[in-house]
Amino acid sequence: MLTIKNLHAEVDGKQILKGINLEIKKGEMHAIMGPNGSGKSSLSSVLAGRENYTVTQGEVIFEGKNLLDMSPEDRAREGLFLAFQYPVEIPGVSNLHFLKTALNEIRAYHSLPAMESKEFLKLTKEKQQLVDFNANLMNRSLNEGFSGGEKKRNEVFQLAMLDPKLAILDETDSGLDIDALRIVAAGVNKLRSADKAFMVITHYQRLLEYIVPDFVHVLYNGQIVKTGTKELALELEEKGYDWLKEEVHQKESV
Amino acid sequence: MRNSNEIIDDIANREYEFGFTTDIEMEMAPVGLNEETIRFISAKKEEPQWMLEWRLKGFQAFKKMQFPKWQHFEMPELDLQKLSYYAAPKKKKQLNSLDEVDPELLATFEKLGIPINEQKALAGVAVDVVFDSVSVATTFKEKLHELGIIFCSFGEAVRTHPDLVKKYLGTVVPHSDNIFAALNAAVFSDGSFVYIPKGVRCPMELSTYFRINAENTGQFERTLIIADDDSYVSYLEGCTAPKRDENQLHAAVVELVAMERAEIKYSTVQNWYPGDKDGNGGIYNFVTKRGICKGNSSKISWTQVETGSAITWKYPSVILQGDDAEGEFYSVAVTRNKQIADTGTKIYHLGRNTRSRIISKGISAGHSDNTYRGLVQVGPRAANARNFTQCDSLLIGDRCGAHTFPYIESRNSTATVEHEATTSKIGEDQIFYLNQRGIETEKAVALIVNGYAQEVLNQLPMEFAVEARKLLSITLEGSVG
Amino acid sequence: MTSDKSFYEFISNGVPGPEQKVDADNAILPARKLAFGRFKELGLPTVKTEEWRYTNIQRYLKDAFTLAQEEQGTVTAEQLKAAGIPQLDSYRAVLVNGRLQADLSTLPTGGKITVSKVSDAAGNPQLQAWFDKHPHLQSQPFAALNAALFADGLFIEAGVNASLDKPLHIIHVYTASANAFIQPRHLIVLHKSATLEVIESAVGINDNAIAFVNGVTEVVLEENAELWHYNIQSTVKNSRHIYHTSTTQKADSRYHHFNFTLPSAELTRNNLSVALTGSNTETNLHGLYLATGTQHVDNHTFVDHLVPNCNSNELYKGVLLDDANGVFTGKIHVHQDAQKTNAFQQNNNLLMSEKANINSQPQLEIYADDVKCSHGFTVGRFSEESLFYLRSRGIGEEAAKSLLVNAFAFDITDQVHIPALQDFLAEKIRQYVAGAINN
Repeated sequence: MLTIKNLHAEVDGKQILKGINLEIKKGEMHAIMGPNGSGKSSLSSVLAGRENYTVTQGEVIFEGKNLLDMSPEDRAREGLFLAFQYPVEIPGVSNLHFLKTALNEIRAYHSLPAMESKEFLKLTKEKQQLVDFNANLMNRSLNEGFSGGEKKRNEVFQLAMLDPKLAILDETDSGLDIDALRIVAAGVNKLRSADKAFMVITHYQRLLEYIVPDFVHVLYNGQIVKTGTKELALELEEKGYDWLKEEVHQKESV
Repeated sequence: MRNSNEIIDDIANREYEFGFTTDIEMEMAPVGLNEETIRFISAKKEEPQWMLEWRLKGFQAFKKMQFPKWQHFEMPELDLQKLSYYAAPKKKKQLNSLDEVDPELLATFEKLGIPINEQKALAGVAVDVVFDSVSVATTFKEKLHELGIIFCSFGEAVRTHPDLVKKYLGTVVPHSDNIFAALNAAVFSDGSFVYIPKGVRCPMELSTYFRINAENTGQFERTLIIADDDSYVSYLEGCTAPKRDENQLHAAVVELVAMERAEIKYSTVQNWYPGDKDGNGGIYNFVTKRGICKGNSSKISWTQVETGSAITWKYPSVILQGDDAEGEFYSVAVTRNKQIADTGTKIYHLGRNTRSRIISKGISAGHSDNTYRGLVQVGPRAANARNFTQCDSLLIGDRCGAHTFPYIESRNSTATVEHEATTSKIGEDQIFYLNQRGIETEKAVALIVNGYAQEVLNQLPMEFAVEARKLLSITLEGSVG
Repeated sequence: MTSDKSFYEFISNGVPGPEQKVDADNAILPARKLAFGRFKELGLPTVKTEEWRYTNIQRYLKDAFTLAQEEQGTVTAEQLKAAGIPQLDSYRAVLVNGRLQADLSTLPTGGKITVSKVSDAAGNPQLQAWFDKHPHLQSQPFAALNAALFADGLFIEAGVNASLDKPLHIIHVYTASANAFIQPRHLIVLHKSATLEVIESAVGINDNAIAFVNGVTEVVLEENAELWHYNIQSTVKNSRHIYHTSTTQKADSRYHHFNFTLPSAELTRNNLSVALTGSNTETNLHGLYLATGTQHVDNHTFVDHLVPNCNSNELYKGVLLDDANGVFTGKIHVHQDAQKTNAFQQNNNLLMSEKANINSQPQLEIYADDVKCSHGFTVGRFSEESLFYLRSRGIGEEAAKSLLVNAFAFDITDQVHIPALQDFLAEKIRQYVAGAINN
C-alpha cells in the first residue's frame, strides 16, 4: 500500500529526514517510536504534504501512485488520513458542515454523487456510536473550545467518517488521561480491518498496550534504526532510548 | 500545487456575474444639475407642491456644502454636472398588475434571480423592484393591504399617503444632513415606503431590489420605513448594476422610525458592480442610512453584507432616543482588487438603559482597503447605557489594508462601553488541516471565511443567508493566507 | 480679530523671530528657520483638525502671553523640595523655564554620559543629526513652533555600553511672574547598548500667572539601547501643557515610557510617538491619568511599525472626576513590510462622577497580513459591588475607593521599577481619591 524509499526531507534548510525506508501493507499496524526530535512528526507532515517541508531525495508510492506529486487534498482523497497532533480550531465552521464538505469532496474525486443529508446523518450517528463520540460536539464550531481529549476523539471520529485506506495517528495519545486513551484506542481498534493500514506515531509505549502493532520501528536522527515487533516497544519502555543511541553511534564509528 | 499568488490572481480575474445590461427604452432627464432639473423630476413624478419645495430646500443646502475630507481614501473626482438625474423605463404608466411590466424587464430580473412574478416568488417575501431609481413592481400588495400594511413605491406613497410621508420625511435624515443626503433630497427619484400599523407583525419579509442599468446616471432612491407601536418588520434590500467603464454614483437615503416597542430589522446584501481588477468603473456607494428608536423599548437592527461597489462609504446609524431602546449593527464587508470600503455605524445613546451591539467583520484581499469606522456616543441622560463592539479584520495577501477607527464618546458615568478589535490572517495551519481532509484550498478559504462571518450571517433571514453565503464564497473563493 | 489670530500674530510678529540666538555660533539657526516656516504653513489647529477634534486648543490660547526669554524669579530650596520625589536617590538636573541651573543640579560626571544645555551643545554632530528630524514631528504645528523658538533644554548623550548607577531626575520649575509661553526642548541619544533611566517632573511656583508649556523631547535609541522614561505631570492648576515626545528605535532597542498625569494642570495634551526603524525592538507605553475639576487630559499616541518583527504594547488608564475631560487617541500603524508585528493597545477608563467624560479613538491601520494586532477600550464606573464588599468588611469609603483606584492603576504602577517612585505614585493616588471624596 505504502512504500517509502530513501526519503530525505528538510525544513528551513535543516535536514530532518535522512533516508527513511518503510513498507506498509494492507491490514498492518505499524508503530513509529523514537525520542523527541527524531523526526517522527516530520515524517507524518511530509507524507500529508505540509508545505514548509521540502523533499530532497527519495520517493513515496501510495497505492501505485507517486504520493509526493499530489496536493495535500488529493493525498487525502486517495485515502491518506492524518490524525493531527494539534488539531486546529476553526471558529464559525460547524463540525458537521465541515465533515459533510470533506466527505463529498472525496466522493466527488471518485466520481460519486454527493451524499444525501439523510444518509449522511445516518452515517454520522452510526460512527458516533462506533467510536463513542459525544453528539453534542457535532454542531459546535470545529474543535473550538474542545478539551484536549475531545479534539483527539474528534480526530478518530473523522477517521471513522472518511474511511481512508491509510491512517497516520500522530501522537494521538499525548496529553490524554488513561480513560480518554482507552476510548481513543478502542475506536481505532474497531476501525482496523483487512484492507486498512495504520501508522501510529507515539512517544510512549503505553498506547501500544491498547493498540497492538504488527511492527515497531524506531526513528532516530531522521532514520529508522531498528525494526521489531511489540516486544521492541516494551524493551524501549524499560531501557529508554539511550542504549539505542549508543548502538547507532557505535555503528557509525566502526 | 498552486501557489497563493496564482490563486489571488484568480480571484482578481473573476468576472462580475451580474454585469450585463438591459436594452430597454429609457426616459432620461437632460444631463446636469440645477433648479430646472429638480422641477423636471418633480413634474415627471406629478408631485404636489410641498414635495417640490422640500426638494428645493435640499438643493439649496446642497449648493452650500462641500465634500468631506476625513474619510480614509482619496475622494474621486465627481462631476455632478455630468450626470443625468432621472432615468425611467419608458413604458411606464400606472402599473396595475405585473402583467403590464415590460417583458424585457421581467427577463432581466429573472436573470438576476429576483422573482417578481408572484407565483414564482420566494415564499413569504414581498418584493418591490426598483430599476434605475423607479419602482417597477411590488408583489403581494393585496395580502399586505389586508393587514393595513403599506408597502409601495415612494412616489406612490406621496400620492396616496401624503400625511404619513409629510410627517416623517426628513425627520431622521434631514435634507441638509450631509452633501450626499442633500443631493438625494433634491433629486431622489423613487424608492420604497413602508408603514406597519400598530400591533401588526408583518408576516413576510419585505424586500426591495435595486438595479442600476442606464449609463451616466446616478441612483438616488429614498426609503422610509415606519413601524408604529408594537409592530415588527423585517426588510431586505439587494442590488446589482451592469459593468460599465465609468463610475456610477449611488447616493441613497434610508430612514427608519421605530415607535413604542416596535422592531425594525433591516438587512442589505450589496453587490453593486465593483469595477474591474485595475479599479476601472464600479459604483460609488455613498449612502446615508439612519434609524431612530423613538419609542421606549423599541429596537432597530442593521445587518449588511457588502461585497460590491468600487467604494462603499456608509454608516448605518441608530439614534436610541427612547428608554430601554436597543440598536444593533452586524456587518461583513469584503473588498478585493482595488475596492475600497469605509463603513461602520454610529450609535447615539440618548435614552436611559439603552443597549447596543456592534459586530463588524472586515475581509480584505488583493490591493483593497477596508476600514471600519464607527461612533458610539453616550449622552448625559443615557444612564446605564451599554455598548459592546467587536471589530475583526481578516487579511488575505500582503498588498491590502485593514483599518479600525472607532470613536467613543461617553458623557455618562453609569454607562459601560466596551470595544475590542483584532487583525489577523487566515491561518496556514487551518488551510492545511482542511486540505488533509480532502478539501481543496479554494473551498477551504470559503469555509473559513464563512465561519468567520457566521455571527453576522446568522442575523439574515434564512433565504438571504444562503444567498449571502454563496456570494461570500464566489467573491473570495480561493484566497490563501 | 479672533483669538487664534492674536496668538498667531503674537508668535510671529510680537516677539523676536527665529533669528534670535540660542547658541553662540548660530549652529541650529537653519533648523529653526525651517521649523518656523513649517509652523506658519501648518497654522494653529482647530476642532475641525481631526487630531484636535476633542481638544479645543483655541480657548487656551486666548490669554496674552509673553515668551519666557529671561530667567525670572528665584527658586528656593523649599520650592525645589516640593518638586522632588521623597526617598529618590538620583542625579538631578534642575531647569528654570527650560534653562539648566548648574548650581541647583547634581549631574553625572566623568562617565560616558553627558548632560548639557542644548545651547552649549549646538555644534555637536549628534545634535545636528537628530534635532527636529523625527518624522512624526513634521506635521505637528506646536512641535514646529517649539523648534523655531524654544528657550533651551537638555542634550543627554550616553556613549556605547554606557549606564548610570542611578536614575537622572529632571526637574522643571516654571516661575513666570506674568502669563508666559515656555518652550523647553530636550534631545536624548543613547548609543549602542547604552541604558538609562530618566524621570521628568515639573513644578509651577506662581499661582497668579498662567504658564503655557509647549515642550518637545526627542529620543534616539541606537542598536540594543534601553531607556526607561518616566514623565510625571503635576503642576499648578493654571498651567497648560502641550508635550511632544518622539522616539526613534533602532534594532534590538527597548523603550519603556511611563506617563503619569496627576492633578491639576487645566490642560494637558501629550503627543507620544515612536518610530520603529530597526527590527526586533520592544516598546512599552504606559499611561495613567487622574483628572479632577475641569481638567482636560488628552493623550495621543502613535506607534509606527516600519520594519518586521517588532513588538509594541500599550496600556493607558484613566480615572476621571468632577467635570474632567479625558481624551485618548492611540494609533498603531503597521506598514506593508512590517510582517510578524505584534502590536497591542488597551485603554480603560473609570468615570467617577456624573459630569466627567471620555472620548477615545483607538486606531489600527494595517497593511501587512502576517501580524497580530488588537486594541481594546472600556469605560465604566466603580463596581458598587466591590465597594460594598470592602465597606462591609469595615473599610471606610475613602480607603475603599483608594484601594479600588489603586487596584485599577496597578497594571501600570506595578511596571515602575523604582520603589521610591512607586511609593510616590501610591501617595498621589491616595491624595487624589481623598480630594475627590472631600469635595
